[in-house]
Amino acid sequence: MEFDAEALLLTFIAETEENLRAIEEGLLSLERKPDDLETLQLVFRMAHTLKGNSASLGFSGVAEFAHALEEQLEKLRQRERAPGPELVTALLEAVDALREMLPVAVEGNHEIAPHHREVLKRLAAGASPLRPPLAPPVAAGVPSATAAPAAGTPEGSALAAEAGRTLRVGIEKLDRLMTLAGEIAISRGRVRELIEGGSAAAALAAHQDAAQLHAELQDLVMQVRMVPVGPTLRQYVRTVRDLAAAQGKQARLAIEGEDVEVDTTIIEHLRDPLTHMIRNALHHGIESPEVRREKGKDPCGAVALSAWREAGSIVIELADDGAGFNRERIVEEARRRGLADDPERLPDAELYRLVFEPGFSTAERVTEWSGRGMGMDVVRDRIAALRGSIAIESWPDAGTSIKIRLPLTLAIIEGFGVGIGAETYVIPVDRVVECMELPARAGRRERQGILQLRGEALPFVRLRNLFGVRGGEPERESVVVVRHDLARAGIVVDSLHGQDQAVIKPLGGIFEGVRGLCGSTILGDGRVAFILDVPGLLEKTLSPNAAAPAA
Amino acid sequence: MMPMPAAAKAADRAQYLTFSLSGGEYAIAVLSVREIIEHETVTRVPSTPGFVRGVINLRGSVVPVVDLARKFGLAENPVTKRTCIVIVEAAAERERVVMGVLADAVNQVVEFAQAEIEPPPSFGAPVRVDFLKGLGKLGGGFVLILDTDRVLSTEELSSVASAPTETAATVPAAPTGAATAVSGGRA
Repeated sequence: MEFDAEALLLTFIAETEENLRAIEEGLLSLERKPDDLETLQLVFRMAHTLKGNSASLGFSGVAEFAHALEEQLEKLRQRERAPGPELVTALLEAVDALREMLPVAVEGNHEIAPHHREVLKRLAAGASPLRPPLAPPVAAGVPSATAAPAAGTPEGSALAAEAGRTLRVGIEKLDRLMTLAGEIAISRGRVRELIEGGSAAAALAAHQDAAQLHAELQDLVMQVRMVPVGPTLRQYVRTVRDLAAAQGKQARLAIEGEDVEVDTTIIEHLRDPLTHMIRNALHHGIESPEVRREKGKDPCGAVALSAWREAGSIVIELADDGAGFNRERIVEEARRRGLADDPERLPDAELYRLVFEPGFSTAERVTEWSGRGMGMDVVRDRIAALRGSIAIESWPDAGTSIKIRLPLTLAIIEGFGVGIGAETYVIPVDRVVECMELPARAGRRERQGILQLRGEALPFVRLRNLFGVRGGEPERESVVVVRHDLARAGIVVDSLHGQDQAVIKPLGGIFEGVRGLCGSTILGDGRVAFILDVPGLLEKTLSPNAAAPAA
Repeated sequence: MMPMPAAAKAADRAQYLTFSLSGGEYAIAVLSVREIIEHETVTRVPSTPGFVRGVINLRGSVVPVVDLARKFGLAENPVTKRTCIVIVEAAAERERVVMGVLADAVNQVVEFAQAEIEPPPSFGAPVRVDFLKGLGKLGGGFVLILDTDRVLSTEELSSVASAPTETAATVPAAPTGAATAVSGGRA
């Protein structure tokens, strides 16, 4: 019985979060298109469902709130009111309040908190002044991933977090999975039978059939994990609206490529970096309406989030038509922090890369919205952890574009195994250019250096020293040439093990801060091996600071 | 052990798994123990503090293994036949994390009533006081009951990870605001 109740609650939480997100999106779209009756109907229906569901579970507080929301929506339906910014803000506030109330209600507290009562009052009055919300709105817009309910006991919030990590899957896909699982079971039995009393050739053939089925299963599981990026990207419409309002700016977010599908894990990990980038765009990029008018631009800034697929990866671009990067200030900051010898002579791409250095900030003042919290270095690290890359382009007074390129799936890569002492590491094959024996002339024992490759200088890093592996130094070493963007470098290892598929396990928790690794995988013999984060390693190897001996 | 009315007393009694670590006896609440496995090859993780022994493959999941003897600064015992890895579930910030704890040997499961657990002494214990839930009396001696959520918190375990031995080149992450004031020396 108890289990059933919990399952019911999980469904309720997941559904309610989905509903709230849909209501939020609907409201935002209504604000722009007040005559869109269809959307209004949809929002109304959602609020009604929410009221019904929560009342039937005995969540009186949530139900009361949903009822108030529904009442205001009814007024919209009856054309008694128009969805102006103030009413929409009040309604959005109610949505936020409902989101906060959810975990509390699940714990069994059905009281409406005093600050929620305030929201309710404003909702009844039908207007909230446009003002900076107390909490960053995005935190509220992202279920469970970042928004730890403030007043949640571990149990309640764990339940909410669990609900946040669900995925809807079409029944026909599940049926196909089921069938495949059945077929695999049968073919396994057949293989066993043949091993016990059949010819080796027959067993091998049966095994190949089984392998085929298994590959199919793997493909299908991957497919099931793919979700469209649209819902995630759409959440930022609200973020942009609220951030702009809070800073006295005007901005609108346009979204493109909502149907592009990507592995659900990637979506989850994208939320925080995107939030940070959008904050930056609103804070540093988009100018105030007056300045924009002076520059001859539309006073309302245009921010665009687009997604598209490109050769085995997904690209997500955040573009704004704001002021662009302030080259001078970046140069100044780079010089002050000693990040480059001659920053003003660096080409744009390299100069802009410096903003990813930890602690790099050109913000004149720290505000609630930017200049603190997650820095661009964290954005870069998160993207690197997803085996992605990030590139910035910027044009003075014309805006900035940040492109994030990510693999479509995190789950499986072609890996190239290398050995150092008794340890094995895996390099993603798409990063590998070539392998060769390390020329004897290239310094022994140094952690890093430069070697000659067909007349060109190639910086290298010796993994043995970098990772502090002791003992068992080999007679000869090999070098794996890897690339990232336009940069190349050599990774010196003891031995080359060759190519194989690697199922990636993310490095979580305590290993998140470890530089140079981006995941782990399990080798054929059951041991764990780490996957190298090539961009991270290259940066270490190629950055001027790293190359210089400790000064 | 005295016979006791099990049902009546069950509420405030809890079971603990005891294990040896560098000659001392420690205990973990049974409810947070998932399983106990034989010691196996641990894959070292570069640039992590010494008490993080590495990771193991636990039926397809990659699980970190922590050496509490090193963490507590105790003498280390070599790996023997009795060495085990206790797989523990600890509460991290948002989720429960699964971790392995190295034990020289796993001993027994004991039951303590809340009242029988003494508060940790303010000094004299081999382990930091905030890592302890208390002391339980066992035979003639004491067993130190560990607060696994504290000991295995992400914060506790990764505090040193950002200051690793080999990554000298990384710039220390300064808070964005403070960085402006500090960096005079470089220029």
